[in-house]
Amino acid sequence: MKVRFCSGWFSTGMIGRPDLRAVHERRLRRSFTAPMQSMQWVSEQSAHSSLSLVKALSMTQSSPLSIDLKDVTKTYRGGVFALRGVSLQVHPGEIFGLLGPNGAGKSTLVKIMMTVVRPTTARGQVLGQPVGHNGTLANVGYLPEHHRFPPWLTGRQAVEFAGAMCKMPRKLRRRRTDELLELVHMREWAKKRLGTYSKGMQQRIGLAASLVNDPQLVLLDEPTDGVDPVGRREIRDVLTHMREQGKSVLVNSHILSELEMICDRVAILVQGLVARQGTVASLTSSSRCYEVISRATPEQASSLDGVEFESLGEGRSLLRIPSDDPVAIQPILDQLRSSEVMIESVLPKRESLEDLFVRSVTDPSTGVALDPGANRNTEADVRSFETPSSESPDGGES
Amino acid sequence: MIQTLALLHAAYRELNARKLFWVTLALSGLVVAAMAIIGLNEDGLTILWWQFDLAFLNTKIMPVDVFYKFIFAQLAVPYWLAWLATILALISTASIFPDMVSGGSIDILLSKPIGRARLFLTRYVTGLLFVLLQVGVFTIAAFLVIGIRGGSWEPWILISIPLVLLFYSYLFSVCALLGTITRSTIASFLITMLFWLLVFGVNSGEQVTLAGRTALEISLGYSQEDLKEAVDAGDPIEVTEPLQVMCDEDQESLDTWKSFHAWFFTAKTVLPKTGETIDLLERVLRERTGMEVGGPPERQEMMFGANQRISNREFGERLQETMDDRSVTWIIGTSLLFEFAVLGLVCWYFSRRDF
Repeated sequence: MKVRFCSGWFSTGMIGRPDLRAVHERRLRRSFTAPMQSMQWVSEQSAHSSLSLVKALSMTQSSPLSIDLKDVTKTYRGGVFALRGVSLQVHPGEIFGLLGPNGAGKSTLVKIMMTVVRPTTARGQVLGQPVGHNGTLANVGYLPEHHRFPPWLTGRQAVEFAGAMCKMPRKLRRRRTDELLELVHMREWAKKRLGTYSKGMQQRIGLAASLVNDPQLVLLDEPTDGVDPVGRREIRDVLTHMREQGKSVLVNSHILSELEMICDRVAILVQGLVARQGTVASLTSSSRCYEVISRATPEQASSLDGVEFESLGEGRSLLRIPSDDPVAIQPILDQLRSSEVMIESVLPKRESLEDLFVRSVTDPSTGVALDPGANRNTEADVRSFETPSSESPDGGES
Repeated sequence: MIQTLALLHAAYRELNARKLFWVTLALSGLVVAAMAIIGLNEDGLTILWWQFDLAFLNTKIMPVDVFYKFIFAQLAVPYWLAWLATILALISTASIFPDMVSGGSIDILLSKPIGRARLFLTRYVTGLLFVLLQVGVFTIAAFLVIGIRGGSWEPWILISIPLVLLFYSYLFSVCALLGTITRSTIASFLITMLFWLLVFGVNSGEQVTLAGRTALEISLGYSQEDLKEAVDAGDPIEVTEPLQVMCDEDQESLDTWKSFHAWFFTAKTVLPKTGETIDLLERVLRERTGMEVGGPPERQEMMFGANQRISNREFGERLQETMDDRSVTWIIGTSLLFEFAVLGLVCWYFSRRDF
């Protein structure tokens, strides 16, 4: 059975004077609260898909994962290895970030899931159906990078068109379009032609169009491209709410700070391979440390086990303690205090997603970032940078 | 069904947004208006309130309803609808497939639960909507003009709607193939025009060789009759021998023309028959409404061929007979086979291609 919007979500009423955030929350609530017709429609869609795929389902074990890809490869003409055996999993109720340098294969992977590109080989499932199953697309939302709706359509018409192409009944898609236009703050512009829109406004309409079918899974390729900071925050809010409703979101973006804020897990694709996959916390755990700014001398620091010393000048120094356990650093702090070293600050530090990304795309042997673009060498000649990580079932990196 | 309607609706909006659609429609209106302001009376032609006395064109020679049908079937449809308006329609619709398969646009369409072949074919049909609306409006307006001004309410006039649509669909299938493969509006339009030129060339070649063949067949018939009469009359060999030589020469020439004609005819069979599809309108009007337009005054001698004994009328009638012997099934059937083959090819290509 499909995970549907539950009425208990957002059940707590807003108390007090609503601020802008509260207004936005209400919009979200209206947009994502399950209307009966919506449920009926999805049920019909589900029934239709189910009936036509009973045989397929009986032969394949349905995956509880929203996306469960195994060994996806894509080789374009001319020996361009866009994907060289990608495996990744996205759980229900999860925001998953897909990162990678230009030409790493991110868009190709997303397009394979959306049947825009045909894989060379692919195993696995999307929403419990084999990769490339056309009927599944009725439950998937997709915002392509550089999407282009016909400029003669108005914003409303573009969203309604997307709904109609997902076989939504007219009344439902009209109502849903109203809700989504309000959600992305485009109601005032709904009757203007897309050709008159700015990039950010087109992006908002694109997002609305990708959500019009009330999808279980949304694939967004650079969703905040061209959107102003307020709009970006609103988009993040939308995605967060979708996650809380048990829906899955896969975001492909280069804005790592944004992904870091909302993603439960990320995968870093480099030259057609998953270089790393896991939660941001687990991927950066090895880099976690405490930084202590003090007046310690190099001699005093050398007596501390495993502590890195860095002079900051004017008698100040930075001590880096490789541990994320506050208990573990207490003896070191005690030792400094007993030596009458003045401690200015103690801060927990960890690698940012950007640092992790840069580390992932850097050749460890040369320290130089790998060239952008897909790999054109034969698979045997592919330069190895790091062994792709696998992931433990709990979502952590192993 | 919802998807198909959505695509049709989007195509209608697209037409509304294209200025060329309205320009073409306005020009169609002008052509019909031009038909309406021309009149025919006992003395000749009238244009608005001006009278032009013409001895060879008046109601004594041609009934007024036939006059309007003639204008419609011989001038308005072949020159406006099947020529100028078709070029405008091709310019207007050539961008449909390049736009559809362009990055960002095709992603949106293919990510919906619709099969690629169905998506392509539906878009193809929506492209024909342009011509359907143009021809529909034009023909209905012409039907009214013929009814009001010519006094003949002839529903067979409306047959031009499917015929012109068919004619356009042959070219549009090629345009769709090229647009999908090249992703270029200009390339697809220009190569489609070249293809049309090729079809026109093959058709003209076939017509010329058919004319030569027909003329020689008539000529040979006369020569053989003359020879037979001479032999039967017991004429001396000095008389029969030149006749025999003439027969042999005609036969030799006829064989050559037949050979050329066979090549052109084979090529024509494979290609869509654009000209003959449009000519079906005249054939239908002739057969169903009795529209007979008298040919030019009969000349005793014709220019074509060495034999000076063939009259234009006889030649024209034989040629017309040959053309009328070509069945509608052959004309439309083989053309549709070509169109289906092209559409099948482009469907296969579209279904397999990565975007």
